[in-house]
Amino acid sequence: MALLDVKNLSVSFETGDGTVDAVKDITLSIAQGECLGIVGESGSGKSQTFLALMGLLARNGQATGSAKFGGQEMLNIGASAANKVRGNHVAMIFQDPLTALTPHLTVGQQMAEVLEVHSGISGRKARRICIEWLERVRIPEARHRIDQYPHQLSGGMRQRVMIAMAMVCKPKLLIADEPTTALDVTVQAEILDLMAALQKEEQTAIALITHDMGVVARLCDRVAVMRHGEYVEEGDVDTIFHAPKHAYTRMLLDAMPRIDQPSKELHIEAAPEKSILTVTDMEVQFDIRVNQGLFGKRVPLRAVDGVTFDLARRETLGIVGESGCGKSTLARAVLQLIPPTAGSVTWMGQKLDGLDRRGMLPHRKNLQIVFQDPLASLDPRMTIAASIAEPLQSFQPNLSAKERQKHVAEMMERVDLDPRMINRYPHELSGGQNQRVGIARAMINKPELVICDEAVSALDVSIQAQIIDLLKELQADMGLSMMFISHDLSVVRDISHRIMVLYLGRIVELTDRDTIYERPVHPYTQSLISAVPIPDPRIERTRQRLRLPGELPSPLDPGAGLRFLPSRRHSDPHYRPALQEVAPGHWVAEHDSIEAIMQAEEMRIAV
Amino acid sequence: MFPNRAAVESVGDAIELAPIKGRSLWADARARFFRNRAAVVALIALGLVGAFALFGGIFAQYEPDFVNFSLIGSNAYLGVPSTETGHYFGTDSNGRDLFARTVQGTGISLMVGIVGALVAVIVGTLYGATAGYYGGRVDGLMMRIVDVLMSIPFMFVLILMLVIFGRSIFMLFLGIGLISWLDMARIARGQTLTIKNKEFVEVAVAIGVHPAKIILRHIVPNLLGIVIVYATLLVPNMIIFESFISFLGLGVQEPATSLGALINEGSRTMQFGYYWQIGFPLFFFVVTIFAFFFVGDGLRDALDPKDR
Amino acid sequence: MLSFIFRRLAVAVPTLLILVVLSFVLMYSAPGGPFNSERPLPPEVLANIEAKYGLDQPFWKQIVNYVVSVVTQFDFGPSFQYKDRTVNDVIAQGFPVTLTYGFWSFVVAVTVGVSLGVAAAIRQNTWLDYLAVGISIGAQVLPNFVMAPILLLIFTLWLGWLPGGGWQGGQWQFLIMPVIALSTSYMASIARITRSSMLEVLNTNFIRTARAKGLPMRRVIWRHAMKPTMLPVLSYLGPAFVGMITGSVIIDVFFSTGGIGQFFVNSAFNRDYSVIMGITILVGTLTILFNLLVDILYAWLDPKIRY
Repeated sequence: MALLDVKNLSVSFETGDGTVDAVKDITLSIAQGECLGIVGESGSGKSQTFLALMGLLARNGQATGSAKFGGQEMLNIGASAANKVRGNHVAMIFQDPLTALTPHLTVGQQMAEVLEVHSGISGRKARRICIEWLERVRIPEARHRIDQYPHQLSGGMRQRVMIAMAMVCKPKLLIADEPTTALDVTVQAEILDLMAALQKEEQTAIALITHDMGVVARLCDRVAVMRHGEYVEEGDVDTIFHAPKHAYTRMLLDAMPRIDQPSKELHIEAAPEKSILTVTDMEVQFDIRVNQGLFGKRVPLRAVDGVTFDLARRETLGIVGESGCGKSTLARAVLQLIPPTAGSVTWMGQKLDGLDRRGMLPHRKNLQIVFQDPLASLDPRMTIAASIAEPLQSFQPNLSAKERQKHVAEMMERVDLDPRMINRYPHELSGGQNQRVGIARAMINKPELVICDEAVSALDVSIQAQIIDLLKELQADMGLSMMFISHDLSVVRDISHRIMVLYLGRIVELTDRDTIYERPVHPYTQSLISAVPIPDPRIERTRQRLRLPGELPSPLDPGAGLRFLPSRRHSDPHYRPALQEVAPGHWVAEHDSIEAIMQAEEMRIAV
Repeated sequence: MFPNRAAVESVGDAIELAPIKGRSLWADARARFFRNRAAVVALIALGLVGAFALFGGIFAQYEPDFVNFSLIGSNAYLGVPSTETGHYFGTDSNGRDLFARTVQGTGISLMVGIVGALVAVIVGTLYGATAGYYGGRVDGLMMRIVDVLMSIPFMFVLILMLVIFGRSIFMLFLGIGLISWLDMARIARGQTLTIKNKEFVEVAVAIGVHPAKIILRHIVPNLLGIVIVYATLLVPNMIIFESFISFLGLGVQEPATSLGALINEGSRTMQFGYYWQIGFPLFFFVVTIFAFFFVGDGLRDALDPKDR
Repeated sequence: MLSFIFRRLAVAVPTLLILVVLSFVLMYSAPGGPFNSERPLPPEVLANIEAKYGLDQPFWKQIVNYVVSVVTQFDFGPSFQYKDRTVNDVIAQGFPVTLTYGFWSFVVAVTVGVSLGVAAAIRQNTWLDYLAVGISIGAQVLPNFVMAPILLLIFTLWLGWLPGGGWQGGQWQFLIMPVIALSTSYMASIARITRSSMLEVLNTNFIRTARAKGLPMRRVIWRHAMKPTMLPVLSYLGPAFVGMITGSVIIDVFFSTGGIGQFFVNSAFNRDYSVIMGITILVGTLTILFNLLVDILYAWLDPKIRY
């Protein structure tokens, strides 16, 4: 008998605009110790399915059908009956570890109450069990961490605490709702490893809800694909990945960028002539307030710390790195939206740094930026046409209204937006459509350089692929250069000519796109690439991962900069590893051997 | 209200296909407001109170400061509300027509409320928006000043001022305005900070829009919603405030009057059974305050982006 | 935590000084005040003031004298009206009264307001919720100076249950109406804030986590939702405190309770500046101390502030 048996489950919500069917007549089952992946894009109802069976639907939600766990009906049974099961036999972890823990209770208090409620264990014994579990999810210094508050832990650490808290009662089923989506790749890899280990050791069944085919390939035994609240297809992981029956599954797999093979060719070759943009030794420093002493004090944080690169005409430079590596700051500093603290930016032979607003103005026409959040980057009170037209008003003020409208309409057609939508407002459009508006606005003056700052990260995979294709087409048409910033290494590989890896504000490695994935030299690059899941279960099973011990350090940690050059740490703690050209066009920052780095890190953690 | 309407309409003309009509946030908010029955009723009530204050004087049979000496001392039977005598609301203890005085009191209370709120909103918004827009040390200093001022019990200082400099409507406005801009400044600052850090403002800088234009086109329209809501909620507070001072006898000076002063007078003759002397002013006071609160709440529900 | 308190104090002390100096300047520039001899004061009073401040001394010296005696001895000087009374006598007489009914009003406003708000939020869209929302909306338009006559009308004039005023050492019959009149509108605001705050907290991710852990609802509310719910309520308590202290003036005048408010208004009409100033500074000090207390409570509720 299956552990979980869901039959004809439907979920609907009463809203001001009528009834919305989020889940339509779903049937699924999970066997003991099995990992089922539930894949779908946003709005596919994959989370609501499981919230319904946990009894956690929003107040206006209504579930019908049946969901039996170990033979016991779970749907609509009332809170007190549900409380005997949830947290005890079925546990759930959520996407956003930053907000999922109660802020005013310590880690230990939150874990121990699960034991107290379900097993009647409290006091010293509960504490011992909690510490054991914290150690099992590899939280360093568990004895110390157990008395800390959630805000004192990093994001990855909080997700580990969530997992430990879910596991203390040894549930038979663990529901994980996008558990790694908010985390950096290396942290994601660690969490996935941890879940795989728990599944094996505890025989816990896992329901993994995700949009990421790579994560599914790494962890799951069986896959169910959902779309618009309905089941599309289901099967074991190899069948789904290698012989998908449904067109939607195939589309999902095709749209997913793969780090091991760039699926598409680049549309345009970079011009060989000398660069149009040169950035030399750029530094951006912020003063961060830390609460120390009577009035707090300000500590300088080097968000960008000596970055040098150049960019050729029609070239795309990909910039990757994990959160806090300074990639967005770098983009803004290049455009002088944030004044760089030191270094120079040369655009077409002219220096940009130190120019005032007036001096920058003529260059702004050629330097454009597209941001991550499409909705936030459009003024909610302006129609999309007014937004797209705004750069025209700045740079071609003598255009007549008619001409301006013509330009806008043409541009909208160019980015595949229906020109009839000119009077629409951003909140009436989808994320993908809004991002097209943002791109249209950036491109309307035919700029020379467009910086895309995580421009596709907030979008579903299928939309993501469309936007990337659009960007490539526009680049080929207009012959523009791009800086493409992303935390997603697979996406960057799809679009870039050259790729630069940033670590805590410094370049770690810089070379062409194939070399960096096929022959990465720097240990950080290697660990990053090996952490990215590949949407192919056969490859995933045989892959070896390079795991660096410890967490991604905080930029304020003084020793962090020399994490890969521990031999210098004592002689010169402020040493900046130099870039060395290991092969023509292949730059790598100085580093020690992997063994030396591992050893040093282990020692740091032990202390 | 619709800063971009001209641009939108002109764009529309050039397209041959009929453009799909968009619904701006303002249009959405308006629709949401008019779906809220309590708010609409309150708005109508407010209109009626306003009309009463503006045009009520036309129907009054007496001037508000005309003292009918024959009525003094015989309030209980001669000064009762009656259509025959022309004292629709009766008379006050000095033999003055309560209808005319209520019209005047409502008018003055509304004026104090609206002007006070206006002063507070303008000063507060400018102050807060400046602090929020410049940020850094300027912001720190400006907000520290607000913090300091906020922990001073201003009602006492205001009464001290009224006593020292003499009572006048001007002093009252000044004092009320002085106290109430502080909250507005905090709200405006917070909102400005949020908007300033939105990416669309950064984009505007990146596409070379002039700073003055950024403020006018992008920041002010987005700030406006919250300012309107708080201004509406501030008016009843100002009215309460003025009534408080008038109740103590420190507000508007005789023969002029306000709702607070009328309530004060009425409360003193309650024990003799002259309930109309407190009843009518209290009714207009409560209706006005209620209506403003409901309209403000309706506006907040309609305009506050949190619910979206 | 300690440095946090010190930092708050670093703001509080200058605030108080500003208040003292501001009131002194206002008084000094007042027409008809003792410092510009437009109005003949009784010679004994003048002598008292002379002895205290030295009227022939320069302005700054007078200010320093005043501030020093306020700060070091809590001595607000002699009254400008009565020769045999000092401001401290007035405060000693009126302050205990104000403190008594003020304290009870505060307790009533907070306990009733919070319970009403929590109950409404937990039973959202039930009759209890509607009742609580109705009460809090209705009470919002009943500020103390409206509540006071209404209560008097009902309980004294119609029902005859309660005395219409007076204090009598604070017996309960004399306490009821002042407390209700003073607390009603603040109770309503606290109930509203609590309700919306609780509703917001109940929608957060960590409450969803707590429910997913299978905790009983009572535990979810008390252990997980209560503290964050109280944060906005707490930040309202500062303004509410100021409002209640201010409202005590009305209570004292209307119910003749004999608190400092009554002296304040009388002095305002009599131009007894030193009493006005003394009371203003006293109230200011209380406000600042109270805000400090709120800040400390805030840090206790929210570990992110605790440093």
